[in-house]
Amino acid sequence: MGKKKSVALIILVTVVLVGLLFLSVTPSFYVSTAQKFNSLLSIVDFGTDLGGGYYTVYYPEGVISRSEYDMLVEEYEETKATPETSDDVDNPAEHYFRKGGVYLSETVCDAEGNVTETFQAEFDSAFNALKVRFEDKNFADYSIKKQDDYTIRAEVPYTDESASTLFESFAYSGNLIFSDTDTSTTKKNVLMSGNAEYIKDASVANAGEDGYAVAINFTKAGRAKFAEITADLVEAASSDSSSSSSSSSSATIYMYVGTELLMQASLSNALDQDTVYISGSYSTRESAETIACVINSTLDENNVFNIQLDTSDIYEFAPTMGEHAALAAAIAIGVLVLAMLIFSLVRYKGMGLAHVYGFLTYALVLILCISLIDGIVVNAGGLLAIILSAAIMTSFNWYAFANIRSEFAGGKTLTASIKAGYKKSLALTIDVHIVLVVLSAILYFISLGTVQYMSLIFLLGSVISAACTLAITRFYLYMFLAQPKNKIAFCNFKREETEDE
Amino acid sequence: MSKTVSKKSLFVCLIISLVLIIAGAFVFGFLGFNGNATMDDYTSIEVSDSGYMAFDDNFRASLQDFCSAEIEKGGYDVAAVKYNQSASGAGSSISFRLSDSGEGLDEFVDALSIAIDSGVENAELAVVSVTYHNVQNEAYYDFIWRTAVAAAVAAVVLFIYAAIRFKVGMGFTALIAAVHDVVITLAVVALLRVPVGVAFIGVAAYSLLISAFMNLMVFGKMRRDFRSDERKNLPAREGIALAVADSRKTVFVTAILLAAAFVVLGVAGAVVGIELLWFMLTGLMAVIASTYSSLCFAPAIYACIKEKSDAKRAEKAKYNYASDKQKSKEAKGVPAQEVVSETK
Repeated sequence: MGKKKSVALIILVTVVLVGLLFLSVTPSFYVSTAQKFNSLLSIVDFGTDLGGGYYTVYYPEGVISRSEYDMLVEEYEETKATPETSDDVDNPAEHYFRKGGVYLSETVCDAEGNVTETFQAEFDSAFNALKVRFEDKNFADYSIKKQDDYTIRAEVPYTDESASTLFESFAYSGNLIFSDTDTSTTKKNVLMSGNAEYIKDASVANAGEDGYAVAINFTKAGRAKFAEITADLVEAASSDSSSSSSSSSSATIYMYVGTELLMQASLSNALDQDTVYISGSYSTRESAETIACVINSTLDENNVFNIQLDTSDIYEFAPTMGEHAALAAAIAIGVLVLAMLIFSLVRYKGMGLAHVYGFLTYALVLILCISLIDGIVVNAGGLLAIILSAAIMTSFNWYAFANIRSEFAGGKTLTASIKAGYKKSLALTIDVHIVLVVLSAILYFISLGTVQYMSLIFLLGSVISAACTLAITRFYLYMFLAQPKNKIAFCNFKREETEDE
Repeated sequence: MSKTVSKKSLFVCLIISLVLIIAGAFVFGFLGFNGNATMDDYTSIEVSDSGYMAFDDNFRASLQDFCSAEIEKGGYDVAAVKYNQSASGAGSSISFRLSDSGEGLDEFVDALSIAIDSGVENAELAVVSVTYHNVQNEAYYDFIWRTAVAAAVAAVVLFIYAAIRFKVGMGFTALIAAVHDVVITLAVVALLRVPVGVAFIGVAAYSLLISAFMNLMVFGKMRRDFRSDERKNLPAREGIALAVADSRKTVFVTAILLAAAFVVLGVAGAVVGIELLWFMLTGLMAVIASTYSSLCFAPAIYACIKEKSDAKRAEKAKYNYASDKQKSKEAKGVPAQEVVSETK
């Protein structure tokens, strides 16, 4: 490589790296009163352990909180104080039993204040259904806990969808039905049941400009039944429109879980297909996933429950690993990286400089991927993945440098030593990276939750590490080697002088 | 030199590993893992309001201090205090997590509610409500099983890849070492009662990955050595010992980099929240287990395998004079019986 070309490349690469570094780590600031600059690190999604999230408590009908009970008592006392209305209101103390932190209505208890078997069975069933729904949603980390025996506490990380919609949708009780009755009527006309006989499963599909769609995959019987009901609906709509001379002939099909509307779709013709895509209401993948999870859970009869769950209060909670755990981790990793880069420069000089550039490229590309790829969530496991892939990248660069050094010590020229050193480390570098990529891919595709998210980050880290070790650092080394006059000293090598006898 | 991979060293490694695994299994069997704050059942006293705390920090601080003092006076130990803000901004709560399940909390929260009204300024404005909750954790079996299956498949793939690209013996050793490292990490964490949460399953998977990496680094060096003219004819144990000694530096460099990261993050964790410290400690254990395994345990196992395979190969390659003579006699028509007696 010529000197001029090398200078141009060094300037170009430095500018790009500095630019990316600025975009990645600069703290957020306001560009103008309305516009805020957010660094790439600030838009990374975190799990509940590093970023906190939302929690809610599901209260089954017949179970109320202390504050709700206090309000009933207050209302009762106010009403009782007014002589005209004193007989109109019941004393809550006569209708509720205190049980730990909650109050149980007499409708779910016997005379001694013990819950009825029916309520207990329904509550257990609701709890299991919620567990299935949250598990199916596959958060980086979440928790479902029983609180005070008869309420359910759910904690999830921050998501792009509305937390209230998420918690409310997961609380839907009852069977899945397809109906032509709109939401204004309580009693729904069931055209088709949404059960395992008719529906295989529901998933999420990309709907282009419409955002995302919920894909309902029918069984053979389900496809036939759905084709039949949609044909009937379209026919009825067209006969209505011809009788009323209206121009519109589209029908609407509604999907309910119990009495709650899950989604609706307009039909202009009969749909005879294995998969039906319903889009229009889902701007984020997460919101479509939530509906798909509810549908999937109702396909198993064991997950259908019939008590209503109330989720009126949703709270935000701090990261479980400490209020500023993510910031502390980022600073700690930054300090370590700086120490490692300084060590590398001191130990390997010119080769160390190539490693600094190579490592920065690796780190910045990884930050770009983590912050911009939808669906990557960094939790404590993710931190491990980042640390391991960074350590592997550094180790392989140093391993190559050590091989170059040993080749040079064997009497080869610098250029030949670099070639031979890289050649020597090539097979092992490729083998190890292939193994790690394959293993992390297996973990990603089979496991769930924490490990799945961790594997995805490690998979990306390994691929970037392979590229940076095998090609980019080597390229940087050649780029820098074009500059110094004494290339041997630049690489911190010493040629031992041999005395001529 | 070959002491590190001798039969005695393998025996010592096996004893260490077995003792740790059995002890860890016993502790796990009787007590399970030591769940951290996110995994334990707990009782908490919750003081909530209609959102006043969110916009008046002084009120929140005085309410928190007052409640902490009252709870302590009531004879309860507070393990942690957490402030939660309503997502809609319409309410907020302070949760005082108790160290043990408190007795007589019905009366205590009633008394605390009255005390707040009289003891904290503006409490009536904030509409403060006091209650307590018993929270029971639920295990995540599906999540654990899926990860276990994934780890098993990954270990088998590691074996297949190492068997093809390196040697069958190395693949077999890498498989044993991977299983060993994961189990040892789990056992030591159970044994030392390090508090762990759901994320700990990530450490187990991480342990598998780091084990694969470190063992392949050592096997890579062995593979190169066994092809070189200088070392290919060395006795199995000596060759392996030399390769281990040569790759020690690379393995230690990686281990030190990882350990330094865990120590620094652990220290940061001790400042911001103890859970991060415990988590990093488990990560550090995985690094130690994998380093020990790649430099001591796995080479010692592979030395036995290689020694046997070398002996077999040598046996096969040995020139068989007896059969050669027998063949030539047979060709000349001499009975085989005589040849046998001759070779005696």
